[in-house]
Amino acid sequence: MYSELAAQPPSATSPSPSSDELPSIVISQAAIDQAPSRAAGATDSKVETAPRCPFWQVFGSTFVTIFLAELGDKTQVSTLLLSAEFHDPWVIFAGAGSALVATSLLGVLIGYWLAQHISPRLLDKAAGLTLACLSAWLLWEVFQGVA
Amino acid sequence: MDWHLLGLTFVTVFISELGDKSQLAAIALSGNTKSLAGVFLGTTAALLLASLLGVLLGEGTAHLFPARLIKVIAAVGFAVLAVRLLLSSEEAEET
Repeated sequence: MYSELAAQPPSATSPSPSSDELPSIVISQAAIDQAPSRAAGATDSKVETAPRCPFWQVFGSTFVTIFLAELGDKTQVSTLLLSAEFHDPWVIFAGAGSALVATSLLGVLIGYWLAQHISPRLLDKAAGLTLACLSAWLLWEVFQGVA
Repeated sequence: MDWHLLGLTFVTVFISELGDKSQLAAIALSGNTKSLAGVFLGTTAALLLASLLGVLLGEGTAHLFPARLIKVIAAVGFAVLAVRLLLSSEEAEET
């Protein structure tokens, strides 16, 4: 796009003093023209990814990773200790379960709020980095013998 | 129903789970999916099952599951999700 515009002869305009300014005006105009189409492209790609992530696929991948990450985690250890101490597993399970539902609901709502306020591309990057950090955190625990 | 014990468990687990791995993962996953319900129900079901196992098996879990191996598998799972997200954001940038 830039090369096309640059190749146009500077016919009607006065030659020398404005020749420095002209390209910059052209570029900024091009940027303005591109901006809406780029935004449309971003939303299109998000719409396209939707069929690739139907409910069960999202459910399955979320379930497996979080279940594995949570096995032997401190939450499970604390419920385990509580049930060992009080011998009332179903009350412990009700308490722990409702707390876990509350925290994951909070997490999903925070994620939803972020999605409304941050561009999809930045959000993808931030989410990818977060998951990479979680992966490193788990590996660190393994090597530290915290597990 | 022992409401005191219920409250104690709720507060303990709620506080220990705030900002923990699973909540961070829920935030990261829910931000860029079209199926919020899928993320929420997947997270909830996984956490409930994990705590149910913890409550029912008690000390047994440590011997039943090789914790290190499971954590490595979970780490690989998170890494795969991370790479998928990062690659899809790169693709969106190029097009």
